[in-house]
Amino acid sequence: MKIRISRESLLEPLQPIAGVVEKKQTMPVLSNVLMAVDDDALTLTGTNMEVELVATLTDLEVSQTGRVTVPARKLVDICRSLPEAADVTLALEGDRMKISAGASQFTLATLPADHFPNVEDDEDSFTLNLEQREFHSLLSSTAFAMAQQDVRYYLNGLLLEIGDDNMRAVATDGHRLAMGNLPTPTYLDTPRQIIVPRKGVQELIRLLDDSEDPVALTIGSSHIRATLGAYTFTSKLIEGRFPDYNRVIPQGGDKTVIADRETLKSILQRAGILSHENIRGVRLELEPGQLHVYANNPDQEQAEDTMSVAYDGEPLQIGFNVGYLIDVMNVIREDQVRIVLSGSNASALIESTGTDDNLYVVMPMRL
Amino acid sequence: MVRKIIHCDADCFYAAVEIRDNPQLAGLPIAIGGTSGRGVVATCSYEARAFGVRSAMPVSEALRLCPHLELLSTDMPRYQAVSKQLMNILREFTHLVEPLSLDEAYLDVSGSEHYQGSATLMARAIRERVRQELGITVSAGVAPNKFLAKVASDWNKPDGLCVVAPEDVADFVTDLPVEKLVGVGPRTAERLHELGIQTCEQLREWSEMALRERFGRHGARLFSMARGEDDRPVAISRPRKSISVETTYNRNLETLAQCQSALEGLVADLHRRMGRKGIDGTGATAMEKLFVKLRFADFETHTRESLWRQPQLPGTGDFLPLLETLYGDVPRPVRLLGLGVRFPVASGRGAGYQLSLF
Repeated sequence: MKIRISRESLLEPLQPIAGVVEKKQTMPVLSNVLMAVDDDALTLTGTNMEVELVATLTDLEVSQTGRVTVPARKLVDICRSLPEAADVTLALEGDRMKISAGASQFTLATLPADHFPNVEDDEDSFTLNLEQREFHSLLSSTAFAMAQQDVRYYLNGLLLEIGDDNMRAVATDGHRLAMGNLPTPTYLDTPRQIIVPRKGVQELIRLLDDSEDPVALTIGSSHIRATLGAYTFTSKLIEGRFPDYNRVIPQGGDKTVIADRETLKSILQRAGILSHENIRGVRLELEPGQLHVYANNPDQEQAEDTMSVAYDGEPLQIGFNVGYLIDVMNVIREDQVRIVLSGSNASALIESTGTDDNLYVVMPMRL
Repeated sequence: MVRKIIHCDADCFYAAVEIRDNPQLAGLPIAIGGTSGRGVVATCSYEARAFGVRSAMPVSEALRLCPHLELLSTDMPRYQAVSKQLMNILREFTHLVEPLSLDEAYLDVSGSEHYQGSATLMARAIRERVRQELGITVSAGVAPNKFLAKVASDWNKPDGLCVVAPEDVADFVTDLPVEKLVGVGPRTAERLHELGIQTCEQLREWSEMALRERFGRHGARLFSMARGEDDRPVAISRPRKSISVETTYNRNLETLAQCQSALEGLVADLHRRMGRKGIDGTGATAMEKLFVKLRFADFETHTRESLWRQPQLPGTGDFLPLLETLYGDVPRPVRLLGLGVRFPVASGRGAGYQLSLF
């Protein structure tokens, strides 16, 4: 295998691929990136057995085809350290990879390509075509509510529910829930539910951009694959039943607050400074026209803030983890938010006042 | 108001109780711990410390350092009984007693009227009464706050008393090595040394901002402690943070399968302990996390935790995945296995308790 390629062409896809490769690996080959050269393209693959990212590059000069794996981290560090626009030659000599650019020379250890695991294809899959920005927006407005290392393993991921004219994303860690919708014709007869693991969601968010460029999603029985530009990203799915989220979306709250999102976020952030570091509890007090936020911590330090809101219900006190509320304020795009409450021990429903039908549910803390 | 805090700490408590009950042991190097030859030293007498024996040292190493070491197995019920007597004596001086362990406690005697309110006289009286009534010695530190009182009790250990009067705080702290500060272990000490900080005097040259940047929220504590300040109150009841069991095995567990079957026994032990304490995972005893601890034969120790917010006690099947991840793919001999649960930081009173969706 021997190729010539510009530093930038190589570095751009290598960075997200190195992000997929994890530092702590049980199998040495998993910390490597697979390089496969055929007559006119170089294919780079990184995997951690849960997710796999493949990039295909054609902007190069091939002298000799071949396949081999090299340490991902070191290859990225070398490319990054080379001067801009450097002309890089990579050549496999015996079991060593020689990298040269100008006067710089490197020799990397390799492992044979046939040791590298590959994701088997699913049968029974179907494909959806979306704009990158729509899918990005769906994921990034919900992913924050996924659980982390929960024993209820099915919560450590994002539920995608695909109906015949809609794709819905739901994430919950048991304390709060985020739900987003993306209207899109799918021509699917029976709705499908899949759970994409946390790592897969995070890598997808990183790969997708804000453009109208297409992304093709291929959904099989045990994998989801996203094809966008030069990249093919594959993630295993979490097997398991996601809890019935409809059950926890509150109905019939009788206390509605309309607040300016930025102002609300600011007063929550300010009060949050003096909330208990781990528990992060703040107390919200509602009265007609006004919302007060209070926080204190074990050192007896206190914060208090007030804003005007549209509210004409009965006075109400309710406690929340301030981080959960701020997370929601961060993903709502409209200027105003609507919060629907029913009591101090019941969940709050938070929505934007605009047209999107994303919704957020946050359970309170006991005061 | 200037507070008066006493920190009392019994001198090599387990060993002292053993010697008291068997005076022939007096003057001998003794250690209390697992006696199988694979356990670790829980406490040892000062005679044993002279040979380099330390708490938490494997018994095998202790025996190497001191071959004629008198090794006794731990007799928890007896130590607990003495501890109860000790705490009762302390509570006669003030109701503000915060036990830290069986043999260690903080007392806030600011409002106490014994001995005309003199904390020094009270500390003397405590030491005298413990010696007479319990036959063991305690060291005491008297100071305006918890941190200084704790450093002070260690100052003239064993069987000593050290008083840091409010006017002496600045001098007392100046030459204090940073290792003496609460929460400064070997790692933080090393990082401080790299910054050229050996003593509190040198630490005082750093701004709170600079310390926060380097040490996070602990930086703020370092800033205060360097000035002899600590406003943590003496808390009468501290919420339970965790409950756990662990065993060092007589023979290493050689395979994952052996670890898995050993785990079952530990889970049963844990359930018994929790049952005795009335913890069933509901209401105020709701749990937050599970954890498994694994110590390999080379003493490399790892723990791993996962969330557990269900209103029931976790079973073997809930701990197994943690064990499997910790153990990894390569078989290695395991000497110690432990597991337990952690409680949410603010449980107990119910306030600040996060409610769940389902």
